[in-house]
Amino acid sequence: MMSEKQSNTNLESKYDLIVGLEIHVQTNTSSKMFCSCPTGYFQEDPNTHVCPVCLGLPGALPVPNKRALELCILMGLALNCDIDKEIHFDRKHYFYPDLPKGYQISQYKRPICSDGYVETVSGVKIDIERIHQEEDVAKSTHHVENSTGKQYSLIDYNKSGVPLIEIVTKPCIRSAKDAKDFATEIRKIARYLGISDADMEKGQMRCEPNISLQEKGKWEYKDGQILPIGDYKLNPKVEVKNIGSITAVEKSIQYEVERLTKELEEGKKIEQQTRGWNADKNITEYQRTKETADDYRYMPEPDIPVIEISDEDVDRISEELIEIPVERMKRYIEELGLSEYAADVISSSRESAEYFEELYNRLRKDLNEEDAALEASNWLMGPVFAIGNLDIEIEDLSLLILAFKEGSITKNKAEELLNQSVKENKDLSEELEKVIQQKEEITNNLDEIVTEVIQKNTKAVEDYKGGKQATLGFLVGQVMQATKGAADPNEVRDILIEQLK
Amino acid sequence: MKINIKHIARLSRLALTKKEKEKFTPQMETILESASVLQEVDTSKVQPMKKRIEFKELREDSPEKPLEQDDVLKNAPHNENGYIKVYGKIFGGIEES
Repeated sequence: MMSEKQSNTNLESKYDLIVGLEIHVQTNTSSKMFCSCPTGYFQEDPNTHVCPVCLGLPGALPVPNKRALELCILMGLALNCDIDKEIHFDRKHYFYPDLPKGYQISQYKRPICSDGYVETVSGVKIDIERIHQEEDVAKSTHHVENSTGKQYSLIDYNKSGVPLIEIVTKPCIRSAKDAKDFATEIRKIARYLGISDADMEKGQMRCEPNISLQEKGKWEYKDGQILPIGDYKLNPKVEVKNIGSITAVEKSIQYEVERLTKELEEGKKIEQQTRGWNADKNITEYQRTKETADDYRYMPEPDIPVIEISDEDVDRISEELIEIPVERMKRYIEELGLSEYAADVISSSRESAEYFEELYNRLRKDLNEEDAALEASNWLMGPVFAIGNLDIEIEDLSLLILAFKEGSITKNKAEELLNQSVKENKDLSEELEKVIQQKEEITNNLDEIVTEVIQKNTKAVEDYKGGKQATLGFLVGQVMQATKGAADPNEVRDILIEQLK
Repeated sequence: MKINIKHIARLSRLALTKKEKEKFTPQMETILESASVLQEVDTSKVQPMKKRIEFKELREDSPEKPLEQDDVLKNAPHNENGYIKVYGKIFGGIEES
């Protein structure tokens, strides 16, 4: 928080922050992008999920995975992108042992999805430049041999060829928080739509912000680009890699704002570069100067034909498109009157959103819209989240909530009943039935119970009649004890006063 | 046609000697010149010759049995604990996906 405030102060003085975000997401398929090797490599033995294609052996040919491309298109639809009519793959060349073919199959000039947008929870619109399909690379670790002092790398090709989509925003993000919110939104959408588990710690989602500071009033955002005004020369951008969490997206940008501000203030020349986030030290570290696109020597992938996408294909894929979290959240606020906080919490996972809606729809049969929404959200965010799973039957929970709303059971008692039946694995509606029955019996017999209490406590009755009002409380307590707390204390009080006249 | 042999060598992670650079530069320039004849043909009105397939013809997402680890490692000059082992300093990797 501290550093955010500081950087904002600095920014206010002279510079605007310009951020574009690249997010890689491993999509959830059973087989790899261009071969039939199984994907789930997490904690598997190295080099056990590989074949000639993903090892880049001579003569092996890539065969694209239909499901992977569907998931890429699904993400494009969720982010309001245009979907191309054709899929063209390209080769991106670079030389590194994690890339056995010497090139990565990716997309260059024609990404499958382009020109989209999404809104963050705080209502900021983020423009999407493109989403393209590519393949993941192998995992390599670097070591030094003890005996010889030689440097070497160990390579596991299980990850090589796992489907990967790259989502690229336009340079339209203006704060570290918006970048974080956007990344959070992408993760939510990926999970909602079953596109990916998007676990950043497992590397299923990777964020790389492009960051630059520009002098206020010296630049404009036009046609998705940052353009200099007059003879102003734009400051180069810094790309940050190795970000392992959503929080680190925000922190690394804040760090860069401070670092770049200092460099600019000291009159240093900023070099276009790639930096790595060091999560232990909370700093970014210089890695290398950034290559230009020419260095990748892109060329059309000759081994994969052009793939035609028909309108029917897109229609079929859109059937999987459900309301994305931020839209759900808006609807909860606008139509159901939930607070922003409640709407955000409930819509953040598909499971809780769907549970909420089912509960709401059930309660709506007996309650008005406002009460149904309020009770559903309060009960879900309170007792149900506290229990930690969504296994409680909607019908049972609804009956409990309705019993409370009708006043036949107190809220405390209702929550107690809920927790108890979950803990002891009892049927909630049966337990509720018992409590209500017991309560009815007591209510029916309340006059008699009160009479009994009066007869047993002659001293207290005398005191009360003698003007000691406080004794009434004692008598109420006696009746409550006799009914094991099932009676309504106010009602007991009224009956007592009546009988003691 | 001029080429920057140093840059190309760097992209391929090759450390060339001065002598090699002098030897390869004219060779590569000759290759590029021979190929550049193709650039002179006007292809602006020609459709790219590429096979096209429909989306539904794509491979279904069902995994098949991969290679055995032992077989995979047979192709590697060095290996360690199931990993393929590569000697040499990997300098300034251009990109990792």
